This record gives sequence, structure tokens and C-alpha cells, in this order.
Amino acid sequence: MRTFALLLGPSLLSALLATVVQPYQRIVGGVNAVLSLISLGAGLALWGELLAGRVVTSGPGEFLRADALSTLLAVCVSVVGALAAWLGPGLSRDDDYDGVQVRRFRIFVNLFTFTMLFAVTSNNVGFMWIAIEATTITSALLIPLHVTKASVEASWKYILIGSIGIALAFGGTVLGYFDFVNMAGRHEAALNWTVLVASAPHLHPQVIQLAFVFILVGYGTKAGLAPMHTWLPDAHAEAPAPLSAMMSGVLLAVALYAVVRWQAVVNAAVGRGFTDSLYIALGVLSILIASFSLVIQRNYKRMLAYSSIEHTGLICVGLALGPLGTFAAMLHLLNHTLAKSTMFFLAGRILHRYGTAEIGRVSGLLRAMPWTGGLFATGLLAVIGLPPFGLFLSEFALVRAGFAAGRPWLMGLVLVLMTLAFVSMIGHLNRMLYGAPTAGVPVGEGSHWSLIPLAACIAALLVLGVALPTPLATLLRQIVEIVGS
Amino acid sequence: MDSAFSQLCVLGSSLVLIFGLILLWRRGVTAYINAFMWQSIVLAAVTVIVARFGNVAELYWVAVCLLLLKGLVIPRLLRRMERRFSAERELEPYVNTATSMVVAGLLVLFGYAVTRPLVALSHLPTRVGVPLAMGLVLVSLFVVISRKKALTQVVGFLMLENGLALLAVLGTYGIPLIVELGVFLDALMGFLVMQIFVYQIHETFESIDVEQLNQLRH
Repeated sequence: MRTFALLLGPSLLSALLATVVQPYQRIVGGVNAVLSLISLGAGLALWGELLAGRVVTSGPGEFLRADALSTLLAVCVSVVGALAAWLGPGLSRDDDYDGVQVRRFRIFVNLFTFTMLFAVTSNNVGFMWIAIEATTITSALLIPLHVTKASVEASWKYILIGSIGIALAFGGTVLGYFDFVNMAGRHEAALNWTVLVASAPHLHPQVIQLAFVFILVGYGTKAGLAPMHTWLPDAHAEAPAPLSAMMSGVLLAVALYAVVRWQAVVNAAVGRGFTDSLYIALGVLSILIASFSLVIQRNYKRMLAYSSIEHTGLICVGLALGPLGTFAAMLHLLNHTLAKSTMFFLAGRILHRYGTAEIGRVSGLLRAMPWTGGLFATGLLAVIGLPPFGLFLSEFALVRAGFAAGRPWLMGLVLVLMTLAFVSMIGHLNRMLYGAPTAGVPVGEGSHWSLIPLAACIAALLVLGVALPTPLATLLRQIVEIVGS
Repeated sequence: MDSAFSQLCVLGSSLVLIFGLILLWRRGVTAYINAFMWQSIVLAAVTVIVARFGNVAELYWVAVCLLLLKGLVIPRLLRRMERRFSAERELEPYVNTATSMVVAGLLVLFGYAVTRPLVALSHLPTRVGVPLAMGLVLVSLFVVISRKKALTQVVGFLMLENGLALLAVLGTYGIPLIVELGVFLDALMGFLVMQIFVYQIHETFESIDVEQLNQLRH
């Protein structure tokens, strides 16, 4: 109980604090930043409990439950939540938000974090749905923090497409419940994931398959899977940097988490084949669309957004490749969270300095902002999957799992598309890094200290690219067991 | 007894679906808002019928929430928005009326096809209405895709939610009450945020025609 309070409480408290206290914004920001670390600590404590072989649960009927899958996501969310609290508007002196915007940002970003943490720790798939729907509401309000035509358009697309997707996922949840009710009658605990999984072998295959189609299309919309991805590049590009980092780094992962929860039920009911083919279809389509969009990209924030679609597609394909693939996919999810959130924060610094997100109008980045530019380049190399970074290792494991699962053609196609993304992103990066800084852009780093957490993330990626720490390997193996065969 | 119950359910769900179809052949937001209001009231009535005949006391609460939220509060807010944008009518949608009706018919048929395993499996006397609920979900989805005004899209989305609520009531006698309450809260918050955005679109673009939302490409 205490661990959950420490995990979920801080973000709720910060939101409340920001709502009630109007003056002293910097102090509120400081308190918020410290509280976010408590949340992170609680996430790590849950991890520790798992390593000791205990699944922490709380509340009547295991209302909150943190198994390995929940814990991985909880840690990811709290890491990025902490980054957003430390690097978000309001703490550093040079940002372009006024007091009202900073306050609004702080209220909703904390609610956003809370809803994501609640979504991944709730044992009840109904509440998981409610929390994920709430993530749309809380994050959509922050996209037009600066009201412009582009940001209004992006937020409208996001809330409309996101809400419809989530509504379909609700349909899937109802169908899953329908299946249960037909078998065992109405039951308060029927929406508990643990109950669903336990009774899955008795569920009716056709109905649970139909439910999963709704679930995958619904939550897949929020995860940015093609062809429901159209809101994603707009929203990620127009949102303020810390929000982009959270949306791209963890919101997509939380949506995938919801799919994987249901996958476990479906796998237990009808075996793996059904989910595999759906995952491969949507995953490959996502990678395909993302890599071709990367070629023609002119905006670096949109470039990062399309790269997120590519990686979501990869994770999906991984989930279809048996236990080895699931292992690789979950490792990839963690790597992507670290890499992409860092990149969006750096992109925010570049945008702040150059005043444009056009790749063509940014040049001489290495001279104008040597540290930011250096980290941006390193991060991008990590994102495209070069060694010695974590994403290389997880992509390698994923492809190997594909060959082991007897799908060489699929892996060939994925590799070709990844190479295409690789080449085009390197090209865009080159254009930004070298040459003389764009006229009128001041030379020299701004605040150095805010680069430290970002450099730490890159360092973590470096560690993950060299070795797989035992606690992480244990956690991932437990996840593979949860998803089942 | 059971057959009367079934027939009432079919009647109710057919009405709910027909109110959904009004969005396809009427022009003008007033008609849409009225259709949505009556649809929600009929939906609440169906919920009461299921509560009465199925002996599910919880569903009375759901019906009350439905009536208050979707029969009263949301239509009122929609009307206020409509007065603000009264000069704007849904002009030529992306798909014309005749084609829209044919597509809607096909979608309802598709709803029947998709829900066949459900109807075959269920023992509940309400199951006969399930395909109609699925039909409404699909038709509302089509409305959102094919209309140009932000306000029409919002009404389409609200009807999609009604379709899912109908599906839950007929298919399962309602999901657990506590979850249902959370869903209502989300529906209200989601609607309020959409409302803020419609006003924002109107302020920045001086129209709520979503065709103008075309700044962001590729």
C-alpha cells in the first residue's frame, strides 16, 4: 500500500499544489521536481520487490497490482515524469512561457503522469481504460500551450482521433467482459486482469478474438500504429518539448502495455497465432509508412515523431515473434523511452535557440550549441540503432528472434526499411550539425546543468548497449512469462 | 415475458440507431443536437427496461446518469455552442446524402455479420439488439470521418459512445457500476475539452470548418 501511495501520490500532490498555490511558482516547481524523484524511487522499490520474488498488490480484490510488466512501465513513466519536472518550463530562467502557461503546464503534466502511472498499476482493465482515456484529456490540453493555427489543429486531431480510438478499445473491453459474463455470469471482479487470465482457457475463442481486434485498433491508435497514426506527428511536433518527450517516450508505451495485457488473455484463450498475425500486419505497415515519411521529412520534431512510429512498429513485430521476440520488444521499449524522451528535450532546446523546427533552416548546430548538438547527434545515432547503444542490442535481439521463429522474409523486409530510415535520418542530421550557424543565432550554450540528466540518459543507453544488467534481465524474463505462450 | 422483453429491446435499439441515422440526412446542427438528446433519452429508457426485466438494480443508476449527462447537460452545452456558431451550417459533406445512406445500410449489415458469434453465444433475451448497437458504432464512426464541421464531429463521437453504452447494456446487462461511473466522468471531461477546442478553432480560424485544418502535412 505504502509503495503505491509513494508511486501515485507525488504527481497528484504536485498537481494539487500547482492548482492551489498561484504565486511562488519557482518554489512550487522545485517541490514538484523533488516529489517526482520520490515517485521514481517507489517505482524502483517495486522492482526490488519483484527481484525478491514478491508481486506487490494493494486494495480490495488486488485493486492495484505491480507485476513485472507494470513495474517496467511504472519505472519508465516515472523516469520521464521526473525529467519533465526538472527540465520543464518554470525552473530554468530562459524559457518562453509566462506564469499562466507554466501553472497550466504543471497542473496537467502531473495529472498526465498520474493517469499513466495509474493505468499501468491498475489490475482492473476497466480502470486501465478509464486512466488511458484520461491521458488523452490531460495531455490534449497542453498541446496548444502556445495557441497557434498549427497547435490548435494538432490538438483537435489528437483529441478526436485519440478519443475515437479509445472508445473502440472500450468496445473491446465490453466484448471481453461479455465473453466472461456468458461463461460465469455477472461478477464484480470479472474485469480484473488476474481473473480474466485465470479464466481465459474457458472463454469463447471467436468472441475474445473480436474483442482483441477492437482492443488492438483502439489502443493501437494511441500507440501510433499505422494506419491510425495520423494524429501523432502533428501532436508530437506541436506540443511543448517536455510533453512531446512524455507522449513519445511513455504514452505510446503505456498504450502498448494495454494491448499486451489483453494479449496475455487472448494467448491463454486461443494460443499465439491469432495475435501474431495482427501484430505483424500493423507493425510492418507502421515501419513502412514511418520510414518513407522519414525520407521526405523537413521538420526535425516530426522526424523524431515518425521515428517513434517506426519503433512502435518494431516493438509490435517483436511481440509477434515468440518468447525471444517479446523479450527483445520489451527491452526495446525501455531503450526507446530513454532515447526518444532525451531527443525531444534536446529538440526543444534547439527549437528555443533557432526559433524554427525546419531542418533546412538549422545549420552549424555543433558550433552554436556544442553540447546540445553533440548530445543530439549521439542520441540520434542511438535512435537509429547504431552500436554501442541499447537500441542496437534490442534490435539485434529482435531480428535474431525473427530468424529463430522462422520468418526470414519478414526480417529481411524490416531490415531494408530500417536501413532506409537510418540513411535518411543520418542525412537530416548532417544538414543540421555542420556549417556556419544560421545568421542571427547566438553562439554558446545556455544553461549547462539541464544537460546533465539528458547526458545521464545517453550514458544509460550506452550501458544497456554493452551489457544487460541482471535485474533488468530478470524483470524481462518475468514479463515474457506473464505474456505467456 | 421474455419475448416481450426482447421485443422492447429491439424496438428501443432500433430507435437509438434511427436517431443516429438522422445525422446523415439532415443538415443543420439543431437537428443533430435534438437527435442526440432523444437518442440518449431512449437509451436511458432501454437501460431502465433491462434493469426492470433483468433484475439489475445497478442499471437504474446508470440510466439516471445517462439521462442527466447525455439527455440534459451535454445537449444544453451543445446548444450554447450552436448559438455561438449559428451562421454555420453543415454544407456539402465529403460524401453526399444518398451515398451516405447506402453506406450506413451496409455498415448496419456489417454490424450483423460481426456480432454473429456474440448473438449465437449469448443466453440473454437482450441479445437480439446487439447487432443494432454495433451498427450504431460503425455508422457514428462514418459520420465523424465524412463530416466537415467540428461540431458535427463532436455529435458523431457522442453517438459512438451511446452505441457502446447500448452494446454494454444489451450484451452484458452493464459493466460493473464503479467502472461505469468512471466512464461517465471521462465522457464528461472529454466532452468539455472538445468544447474548449471547438471554441479555440473558432477563434483561430474564424470558422469551425475542419477543412481549414490543413496546415500540417507529411
